[in-house]
Amino acid sequence: MRRYVAGRLLLLVPVLAGVSVVVFMVLHLSPGDPAEIMLGSQATQADLTRLRQELGLNEPLGVQYVRWLGHVLRGDLGRSLWTKRPVLVEVAGRFQATLVLTGTALLLSTAVGLALGVSSATRPNSLLDRASSVASLFGASMPVFWLGIMLMVVFSLWLGWLPASGMWAPYGGGGLRDLLSHLVLPAVTLAAASTTIIARLTRATMLEVLGQDYVRTARAKGLVERAVVLRHGLKNALIPIVTVVGVQAGYLLGGAVLTETVFAWPGVGTLMVQGILARDFPLVQGCVLVVALSFVLINLAVDLLYAFLDPRIHYA
Amino acid sequence: MRAHTVRGVVAGVAVAVALLMAGPVRAQPAGTLVVGLVAEPVNLDPAQVTDLNSNRAGRRIVETLVTFPDESTQVVPGLAESWTISKDGLQYTFKLRRGITFHDGTPLNAAAVKFSIERQINPDHPAAKLGKYPFANYFFGNVKAVEVLSDERVAFLLKEPRASFLAILTAAAASIVSPTAAMKWGPDYANNPVGTGPFKFGSWERGQRVVLEKNPTYWKGPVKFDRVVFRPIVEDQARLTELLTGQLDLIVGVPADFVGQLEGNPKVSVLKQTGVHVWYLGINNQKKPLDDRRVRQALNYAVDKDAIVRDVLKGTGTPARGPVMPNTWGSEPGLKAYPYDPARARKLLAEAGYPNGFSTTLWVPESGSGMQAPVAMSTVIQSNLKAVGVNVTMQTMEWGAYLAKLRSKEQELFALSWMAGMEDPDMVLYPLLHSSQWTPNGPNRALYKNDKFDELLTEARHTTDQAKRAALYRQAQKLLVEDAPWIFIDHEIQIAALARRVQGFKLHPSFDLRVETISLK
Repeated sequence: MRRYVAGRLLLLVPVLAGVSVVVFMVLHLSPGDPAEIMLGSQATQADLTRLRQELGLNEPLGVQYVRWLGHVLRGDLGRSLWTKRPVLVEVAGRFQATLVLTGTALLLSTAVGLALGVSSATRPNSLLDRASSVASLFGASMPVFWLGIMLMVVFSLWLGWLPASGMWAPYGGGGLRDLLSHLVLPAVTLAAASTTIIARLTRATMLEVLGQDYVRTARAKGLVERAVVLRHGLKNALIPIVTVVGVQAGYLLGGAVLTETVFAWPGVGTLMVQGILARDFPLVQGCVLVVALSFVLINLAVDLLYAFLDPRIHYA
Repeated sequence: MRAHTVRGVVAGVAVAVALLMAGPVRAQPAGTLVVGLVAEPVNLDPAQVTDLNSNRAGRRIVETLVTFPDESTQVVPGLAESWTISKDGLQYTFKLRRGITFHDGTPLNAAAVKFSIERQINPDHPAAKLGKYPFANYFFGNVKAVEVLSDERVAFLLKEPRASFLAILTAAAASIVSPTAAMKWGPDYANNPVGTGPFKFGSWERGQRVVLEKNPTYWKGPVKFDRVVFRPIVEDQARLTELLTGQLDLIVGVPADFVGQLEGNPKVSVLKQTGVHVWYLGINNQKKPLDDRRVRQALNYAVDKDAIVRDVLKGTGTPARGPVMPNTWGSEPGLKAYPYDPARARKLLAEAGYPNGFSTTLWVPESGSGMQAPVAMSTVIQSNLKAVGVNVTMQTMEWGAYLAKLRSKEQELFALSWMAGMEDPDMVLYPLLHSSQWTPNGPNRALYKNDKFDELLTEARHTTDQAKRAALYRQAQKLLVEDAPWIFIDHEIQIAALARRVQGFKLHPSFDLRVETISLK
């Protein structure tokens, strides 16, 4: 087990290196460079040349990449071209906010998805089942920004129950209640699509498991229905569900970019969008590295969870 | 997961939601002004930034030697109480106000002025490597040296005369910073700015807010509230909702589509002010058939500017007759207009040898500073031109890619705007239309060249008397409009929306966001 984990962690190196090369190339090959955007429409050729020189953009791409990699290996992600702040500080500060948002959305979608899925599977074709499949279709097909704005208009603008944006009150806020009130709308928005996916998958898997012989046996030996459904049914249905929850965790990290932008949530997503528009190369690379790293770690955690859930699975 | 856990989670969520709904959204504490920005400031050293949002916050902290009064862009004393200009126009000497100190206690003196400017232009200056100064050359390329004459007298020596130099000294990049702080913080100074302004830097939580605290010893007298909080909110609907629910006191850059909705709302008031800005459709003056003046005039007659301003911009613009802001000292009141006249356009095209029109391309950025609604505006222009037989293929591009592409000189028609920030005609006519400024060396992307026009602009730069300069610029504008190097579209009307408790706020034509004039009810 320990060797397996060590091996998987070692695999991180080529994965992250690959990600960094791709991101570096995509950023540098897209037209328009940071000097161009910084100087805007007032730029003169002399200013551009000087600024490119100062920003180190005149060197061949390979040289720029190797220099950047050298710094990264020493734990230095460089400074943002625009804010002049160290990228590591910038990204680390924002990543916490993203974790709070995606973590909440993941909890929400897993809890609600499981509950909906299990209830639908135990009472197929009931009113609840049908309502939940309509809701799923709706949830899965709503673009995040549209759903977010609708929720904002209803719950902030019309009802005045919840703040429309940000993570804390503009001034003098703080505390759990302040955070929660700002968290509700973005977390629900972000969780919507995942909830429906988890619900549909849970329903399908549960229906299959509940048709198995051992479930009939469990019922035959007189177990109460709740024990049959949860202990014999849900536990055996968990492997595919956990896989999907793991995938959804990654999806939520990515989906957070849009949700954060709509709700002015101070996470990595808003930072990354800002960085891309400004061609802030070191900043975008730093953000992508952190997100990629979390994605890989989540996958590893899911794989390890299999062994815990199903004693037949071993990692040697 | 066990049943009671599932139920527990569901119940927990329900309780949390109920708890939240019990308390309505709170308003800000008294004495705190909350401003919604369209994007987060990049950093707070105005010499190191080029975007409006950074300056909206950053310029509250620092000041310039000369400045603009409210609602005008005539130059008046700022940190300098008076100045003299040498006969040859090469030396500008300023006398500083006495007794002003920076927020960190450093006295404002001639050495601080020298430091603030020379760090940007002198590569051997100890602070030169502490930041990147993108506009150093654009604004101060003509400055040979800054000399300390005494503690309170400082002189700028120019390489060649340039009558708009005073206007340049009102720019954000000409702000005077505390040398002590700049050297102490090094590269981090841009995030810990220290100036003499009405507000001191308080804190900056990234992605959330910039907090500036009142400077209690401000030399003009302290502002009438305690602090200002700037919040970046990119999504238009979110900014609007926050204003209407009392979470924001002031927003600028209100999208045209929201103006009507806000004007009818009793909770807010809407302010309008024409900014020093021009939106134009550039024409490549060197490419056939656009090199023919009659063709360019025809394009001007073909476009219905009033309709663009009315229907696309919903009144957030004033139709333009030329590049210079109307009703400013250098503008020509009798400038020829190109009214919407498709018949005349067709006639001019026929005279030029294109009775059946021609085909061309139009490059448009998707967005960009000062670009208003580029794609919608360009679509109207495209259909206007089609009506006179000019078939336009429109290509939209992302802002960064667009700027790079304009450097190729391959453009035919292109949409662009210019915010000079000051009304001196030199700051718009020279960079955009003087032939020495042809792209890629400068921003003259229309590749316009008229020797007489060039001469007039150069002469005006060498003339210090404002009345004489005005006469030269008036003549130049007449020539220019006759040549029609662009299709002149509009001057942007800035829109701000304020909560009822905000009193005394005025928009400034330079696009500066002077919240220091506000008092809170």
